Amino acid sequence: MKNNSNLSILLKGLLLENPVFVLVLGTCPTLATSTSVIGALGMGLAAMAVLICSNAVISLLRKVIPETVRIPCYIVIIAGFVTIVQMIIHAYLPALYDMLGVYLALITVNCIILGRAEMFAGKNTVGKSVLDGVGMGLGFTLALLSMATIREILGAGSFAGIALPFFSDHKIEIFTKAPGGFLVYGIMIAIVYKITHGKAPYKKQFSCEGCPSAAICNRGSCENAVKEGK
Amino acid sequence: MKNHIKTVVSLTAICAVVAILLALTNYVTAPMIEKQENAAVNEALAVVLPGGSGFEKMDISSFQFPETITEVYSEENGGYVFKMTTAGYGPGMVIMCGIDANGVVKGATCISSNETLGAEATYGENLKEAKIDTIDSVDTVASATRTTEAYKGAVKDALNAFVIIGGGSVDLRDEAEILADNLSAALSAAEGKFSPVFITAELEGVSAVYSADNGAGYVFVAGENFVATDPSGNVIGEASVDLSATVTAAAQKLIGVTLEEIDLSAFPNMPSQVEKAYKASNGNYVFELKAAGFGINGDEWYNPSGEYIKIKASATADGKIIVCETVSQKETDGIGSACADASFYLQFSGKTAENYGQIDAISGATITTNGYKTAVSKIFEAIKILKGEA
Amino acid sequence: MDTFKSLVVILMSSVLVNNYVLSRFLGICPFLGVSKKLNQATGMGIAVIFVMVVATAVTWPIQHYVLDAFGLGYMQTIVFILIIAALVQFIEMALKKMIPSLHKSLGVYLPLITTNCAVLGVTIDNIAEHNFNFVESLVNSLGCGLGFLLAMVLFSGIRSKIVESEIPESFKGLPATLIAASFISLAFFGFAGIVDNLFA
Repeated sequence: MKNNSNLSILLKGLLLENPVFVLVLGTCPTLATSTSVIGALGMGLAAMAVLICSNAVISLLRKVIPETVRIPCYIVIIAGFVTIVQMIIHAYLPALYDMLGVYLALITVNCIILGRAEMFAGKNTVGKSVLDGVGMGLGFTLALLSMATIREILGAGSFAGIALPFFSDHKIEIFTKAPGGFLVYGIMIAIVYKITHGKAPYKKQFSCEGCPSAAICNRGSCENAVKEGK
Repeated sequence: MKNHIKTVVSLTAICAVVAILLALTNYVTAPMIEKQENAAVNEALAVVLPGGSGFEKMDISSFQFPETITEVYSEENGGYVFKMTTAGYGPGMVIMCGIDANGVVKGATCISSNETLGAEATYGENLKEAKIDTIDSVDTVASATRTTEAYKGAVKDALNAFVIIGGGSVDLRDEAEILADNLSAALSAAEGKFSPVFITAELEGVSAVYSADNGAGYVFVAGENFVATDPSGNVIGEASVDLSATVTAAAQKLIGVTLEEIDLSAFPNMPSQVEKAYKASNGNYVFELKAAGFGINGDEWYNPSGEYIKIKASATADGKIIVCETVSQKETDGIGSACADASFYLQFSGKTAENYGQIDAISGATITTNGYKTAVSKIFEAIKILKGEA
Repeated sequence: MDTFKSLVVILMSSVLVNNYVLSRFLGICPFLGVSKKLNQATGMGIAVIFVMVVATAVTWPIQHYVLDAFGLGYMQTIVFILIIAALVQFIEMALKKMIPSLHKSLGVYLPLITTNCAVLGVTIDNIAEHNFNFVESLVNSLGCGLGFLLAMVLFSGIRSKIVESEIPESFKGLPATLIAASFISLAFFGFAGIVDNLFA
């Protein structure tokens, strides 16, 4: 994060600091909603909207919010935006609302959003934070889309609900189920690692830096846990 | 201190602002969400009532509906959709049923259930076009009697509710309640407590007899009529001359009959099914039988209960069954358990060794039926043994 | 008896069939993060069970007697997450004061639970998805927590084997872990029919 030129802020989210494949944040919605392209797109855009708004508001208020209660404040702001997005989707796109179900509300605890609030928006200007939100949101959406494309084509034989000629006769249904999600995700992470030749700040181990909860646990409790574990 | 105040104020302020924003968004989106949900409900309702439109949920608190009815939607053309919750093998079977303006079932579907056999998924098709006066004749599915009985019962409740909405009145009492009401009406002195009298004599024109638990008298069921008598068999209240005569004759035959237990150890060749035998003071016999049904002979795989079916039967001295009834049974629930239904055991009344063959089997319960028939048929042999003829 | 049966069915299906981690993808972060050692996995799992049940015991009445009563259903997410966050803090403080030994073993995992989507997920699911009554909700939460613990413990055993095996460079670490998770989740598919036939 040394080079904070605006373009690099925007672009780093796409690949080098891709929240899903590199930072390994927001794994739950990634796995759960990447069964269909439409659902993945909906989830990605909804999370992106929340991310941009919360990043903007949090960086706007970063001087006002007292240090000691910043996490509860962030959570309230994020949950507020999530609920707004939830209501809007419910009102205008009921089919998508049914498809995403509980995962829509769970954007609140999507580690990406709280993680970016803590790691970026709480320390940077509004403009940069919005750019970071757009970049990370796009990275999340693209990651979801790429996984959903693989899973939907192989598992359901269709793309965005349109049946594909060869694949619809040879469905491998397991790809739309839970095991397929884990499998595709694991392989995608390996591919991204290969493409970036290990240049990405690869969080092989779950160090505090990569852990979204680091903000809450005062950086150290996990390390203690790991130590005690040893 | 100042810091603390700032902390509290800013956190409260953020919460307040967020809450206001949410309230605003809700104010804008709530009507749209409601509209969407109504559209979704309408779509679901149109499945059971094709062609229906403009569904509206009714306030059903002012109606005396059968208990299963949980929701009712009215429709523009006079039709209704009913939502019922009932229980088959498991609790929580939820059924929706559409009835058009003429009171005809246009569709029924099971929304959720805990049944194991899956018959509820398709049974709704069988009930299509049923009406209040035809629904009783729709067959249940033999392998899933409980499920489909409950299903049919729920749809019948919906048909009844339809009549109630139309201003009609419906008899919602079940058979036991109707019987209790009729008995009480015939003999109010009994204070509503009756026990069936086991019939030990051949009665003409009387199908059942009940005695008042407090000794106030008897009620004789003759066809559709309930006629009360005092403890010594004199008809009380109004009854036609013929009816009076029938009941008096029956009372004379039945009241005062005493039973004397026969010591079966004196008859070593008595069939094992006969557990006890009694000689009645009017010359007839009463037997207590045990039948090896599915509980004894059932396939181990299905976990048979290990219990006999207990039967009580009376017969004349010349070998004619007067009545036969199931006292207790632990056959497979919903299948062999039908041997406790009057429609099954009343078939044995009037049978002799000569015309014993024609008894309708319980569908799906061959072992139960065979065991039962074998046990009851031993009555003929037992009578001969007791009379010293065999 | 029927109530008991239905509770057992709820419990079994939340532990085995609808396992939160392996079939609904809730709580993946701690699943991947804290399942490296058996004692960590157990500690985290127990802490999650505890928080899930307590959170349900608090959020269910609030949903039914406060939010629904005043037509504030849309505040669900925000209220629940605040309750969970406050509850976790409170439990941590209480444990520290009252049972320091337990705090020593579980305390470190508690802060991580606030952002565990499984906890928020179960409290919302109980109301929105299943429409359970209070007791059913508690049983479901207990089942989800137990399912989480089960997945964590099973997985910690497998991970200790992965560490020792030879894997292509690109797959080292997380990818291999995820692929292993895929197989466990495949194994859990086998439980799908078990609940239907529990009392058949």
